[in-house]
Amino acid sequence: MLDLVRVMLRFSKENVDRPITSQVILEQGTPVNILSAHMNQQGGEILVDIEAAHADRVIKAFRSRDVTVDVRKLVEKDDNKCIDCGVCISLCPMDALAFAEDYTVVLDEEKCNGITCGLCVDACTQRAIRLIG
Amino acid sequence: MESSGVQVAYKEVDVVTTGTFGAMCSSGAIINLGHADPPIKIQNAWLNDVPVPHPGAAVDLYIGATIGSETRSFEYGGGHVIEDLIGGKEVELRATGPGTDCYPRTRIETTLTKDDLNQFYLLNFRNGYQRYSCATNGRDETIYTYMGKLLPRYRNATYSGAGELNPLTNDPDYETIGLGTRIFLGGGQGYVIGEGTQHNPKSRLGTISVRGDAKRMSPEFIRGASFTNYGTSLYVGIGIPIPLLNEGVANKVAIRDEEIVTDITDYGIPRRDRGAIRQTNYKELKSGKIDINGRDVKVTSISSLKKAHKITETLKSWIEGASFYLSQHVEKLPTDTVFKPMRQTEETTFVESIVHEAVTCSEDERIEEVAQRLVKRSVNHIVVVDEEGKLSGIVTSWDITKSIANGKKTLKDIIVRNVHTASLNEPLETASRTLAQHNISALPVVNSERKVLGIVTSEDISRLLGGVRSG
Repeated sequence: MLDLVRVMLRFSKENVDRPITSQVILEQGTPVNILSAHMNQQGGEILVDIEAAHADRVIKAFRSRDVTVDVRKLVEKDDNKCIDCGVCISLCPMDALAFAEDYTVVLDEEKCNGITCGLCVDACTQRAIRLIG
Repeated sequence: MESSGVQVAYKEVDVVTTGTFGAMCSSGAIINLGHADPPIKIQNAWLNDVPVPHPGAAVDLYIGATIGSETRSFEYGGGHVIEDLIGGKEVELRATGPGTDCYPRTRIETTLTKDDLNQFYLLNFRNGYQRYSCATNGRDETIYTYMGKLLPRYRNATYSGAGELNPLTNDPDYETIGLGTRIFLGGGQGYVIGEGTQHNPKSRLGTISVRGDAKRMSPEFIRGASFTNYGTSLYVGIGIPIPLLNEGVANKVAIRDEEIVTDITDYGIPRRDRGAIRQTNYKELKSGKIDINGRDVKVTSISSLKKAHKITETLKSWIEGASFYLSQHVEKLPTDTVFKPMRQTEETTFVESIVHEAVTCSEDERIEEVAQRLVKRSVNHIVVVDEEGKLSGIVTSWDITKSIANGKKTLKDIIVRNVHTASLNEPLETASRTLAQHNISALPVVNSERKVLGIVTSEDISRLLGGVRSG
């Protein structure tokens, strides 16, 4: 599997009406996979995966068009708080949360949609899951 | 244990350990504070802002797991106080009393740890359900329940209990588990003190009540819990050894997940008897997917299978290491208890009794026509239906006023599509709750195919309540 970097692109009122994502894809000649998008005339956010090998120049291309790019962890699970019940698993649309063989609840941060989803957060009775950003 | 190996197991194995770790809302702790100087007869008390009912004499208190803090009600509650005390943390006590000749003090504030308490007993009057129903939600909106967060339209499901590891499931006729059975409780040791409340043996929904010394328990097996929009609870770990006294008992502990059948239940139905969508078993539930109406639905436990395994292993090592001794019960759990519903002296009113005909329109009508109909029929809501009479939206007189202000010309632009609805057999109380929660004033009443049967409005409900009061 390709090594991917997950980033959040934030658009403002000023640049939301321009086809920036398509421009960057064409200009950089590398695919950008859109995982989720929430936009209106006031601005919005797109969560994307970029191939790690091209991530630096793709991020620069977005930033040169005044798009705010956040590269960071989207979610955190505190394993000391977690009781491995699994209530979060049935809620996760990305299969980012799953049972290991010994019924430990494991989080695959790479698969998580972060703040555009957050379905699991208020379901955790131990408040062990935190979204970042 | 496989059934084929029952005879071998009976010869080779003396004891099978069972265990479960789940949210057990009927949990609490009895504490005795000792006397202050001058002493106080406590009337009202709080631990970390959680009201602590006062069940007995001057300084005995009961910490109920589901009672929320007065400052952070659904986030921190009695369950957390119990966990904090077991974990060695200091908790703040605040108490008031009437002041009497023998107990002159009227207020006290202090901090306490478990070492400062005389007695600190976990007391749990219902847990260890033999099996439990699997919860899902057929409504159009997410609901938050004691079975966790349930997404709309059967998009997920949850279940509770450890299936074949569950204590009572392995002793379904209560041959070894009874009053006086020594058990693993919260990481320490405790006892079964009788049938649990709502014990329902005939439906294979038996329960037990238990007590144990909380000072010896561990936060690894006792955890406070916050269920969003429901409240607080306590996760409790229970393990029970089952001695293989005879081949019959050995046969019963060989039970497997696929033999433990339970209902899939729609928690979106706001009634006591929700019926069953269909039956399932713990093997299917543990697979992570169940079929609901022909679709794969993700299902997970709200109790912890990992901890249940840990409990059975810990109990096993205690028995092997001679730090836990099996006890014989002194009284059997009853097998004939009946679980009755509440006797209600007031009848429940249902939507059916106040529903009335809805004024309707179709999507392609002009705003003017619709406005005229609202005036003519003197109503504020018009329900938009398709050619089959199915709900496609709602328009209020306020929507029409706004359309004039904003210059919107066609009905399609102003129809509200995301409509909250009610059903005929829904209690009026839940319909009123929907109105209040969403700050709306009417609910189209629909059947399961979303065909419009009528409408209820907040005015109808006020009129009914007003009528009840004056009558």
